[in-house]
Amino acid sequence: MPPIQHFDTLVVGAGISGLQTALDLGDQGYKVAVLEKDASIGGKMIRLSKVFPTLDCASCITTPKMSSAAHHENITLFTYCRLSDLKQTPAGVSAKIRRMPRYVDSDKCIGCRKCEYVCPVYVPDEEQGGFSAKKAISIPFSNAIPQLPVLDPGFCMLCGRCEKACPTQAIDYLQEPEDFTIQARTAVLTTGFDMLPKKKNVQFGNGRIPNVIDSLQMERLLAPHGPYNRVLRPSDGMEPDSVAYVQCAGSRDKQMGVPYCSRVCCMYAIKQAMLLSGSLPLADITIYYMDIRAFGKGYEQFYQNAKAMGIEFVKAKVGRIDQGENGNVKVRYERQDGAGIDTASHDLVVLSMGMVPGWDPAGVCPVSTDTDKFITSVKPKISAVLTDMDGIFTAGAAAGPKDIVDSITESGTAAMEAANYMAGLPGEVQ
Amino acid sequence: MEKPDNDARKKAMKNLRAKRKETIAKSTAMMKQQKKQVQAILDFLEAGEATIPQIALNVHMPTDKTLWYMATLKKYGQIVEGPKDGAFFKYRLNAGPGAPKENAT
Repeated sequence: MPPIQHFDTLVVGAGISGLQTALDLGDQGYKVAVLEKDASIGGKMIRLSKVFPTLDCASCITTPKMSSAAHHENITLFTYCRLSDLKQTPAGVSAKIRRMPRYVDSDKCIGCRKCEYVCPVYVPDEEQGGFSAKKAISIPFSNAIPQLPVLDPGFCMLCGRCEKACPTQAIDYLQEPEDFTIQARTAVLTTGFDMLPKKKNVQFGNGRIPNVIDSLQMERLLAPHGPYNRVLRPSDGMEPDSVAYVQCAGSRDKQMGVPYCSRVCCMYAIKQAMLLSGSLPLADITIYYMDIRAFGKGYEQFYQNAKAMGIEFVKAKVGRIDQGENGNVKVRYERQDGAGIDTASHDLVVLSMGMVPGWDPAGVCPVSTDTDKFITSVKPKISAVLTDMDGIFTAGAAAGPKDIVDSITESGTAAMEAANYMAGLPGEVQ
Repeated sequence: MEKPDNDARKKAMKNLRAKRKETIAKSTAMMKQQKKQVQAILDFLEAGEATIPQIALNVHMPTDKTLWYMATLKKYGQIVEGPKDGAFFKYRLNAGPGAPKENAT
């Protein structure tokens, strides 16, 4: 790989926002580099089951975009890479990048997964919410792009089975990290979000109660390629009869360090509850909420449909969650209608944890962040994609909690602003 | 990336094994334990299909760990889901098409 590579735009993050930005710019003829820390592109969206309020299949929307980006003549993907420095230069931006070793030669690998099948070591599969295992060498998930395995040196015994099984001699235990530089005229930061970890919430069991899961784990249980291919209780495989959602489990809580509303939790909880009604028609589904924030087009109707389907909405603040008998979960809550404190038992509880930034630019890029640690939009009402750095834009959840519709719309704006910026640079042919 | 020639590679692999000595020992111990537990599950399922609590009881493993293995074995085609028994599903060995031939476990 050349030590310095030149592009028109560097997109940092290959989730739905990054891919949309890259596709919009690539279609205009700009050469785009897309940088991704994970071994596959697709971000959070490819891990979701369906999207609200249409209940369209998430991977049916994401996979074509992933594939288009991977095959686009103007887009180059750099997966499994770490960004160590992003700065402005007289010519635009310069990024120092380290490609992490997969221990697999990407030019030789044909994605046959023979290495994965023969590997004898099982490791927790975080792509499946930790509910099942993968092998120490494995392709991240079935529709990952690129279809290249990653060997985890923390679990590899160097037994050589994968090397022997590989039909193309692609296994390379001696692979080292590779450093290179990307120079571009602009950059778009689409670094997305992470979910606040369950272990931070002491009142809700610190993540130690097996049948208390977070909403991204529930997405995996609901997904067609999920760990169990159906919704089961992680503690014992029982099909749950009673499922509860606890809203604002991490958001709107200064003690948790997330005083803001994460905006999408109400809608994804309603979406998941509706999907659960479909897969578990006899189950009781309860949503404990403080307020329902159904702000987008069709969202209120979606909420009303959920109520009509029999999903119970309880306006209450949950104070405590404890392990009950037989794997059940005890939820202690205070009703907001003045009826006092109550306790309910559920088979499975889902915490709608808050959204936090997926990337901390400190020490890597001097772009400003707000008090919530998301990237600052300097003109949030006119063009929310502008940062305080000339030629560096942002889109999607990198600048604050956002749903998929808003993220995709904003990505188009970021692509347009980046194209406008490049058109205004000296030497640009109009 | 070009692979080094054979002698240099052997030396490099030796160095790598020395460098990763602790990880290799830990992973090997983990693999041996996993192999025993998986074999116990597969041996029990030879007798017929069973639910997660039934398997866990017979192989002396916590139900959550048993489910973790069962989800994994199902993913790699070694077991298949059977009919429902109360609130639980039964699982059996995969003897049909798609049964793994190369899996080392």
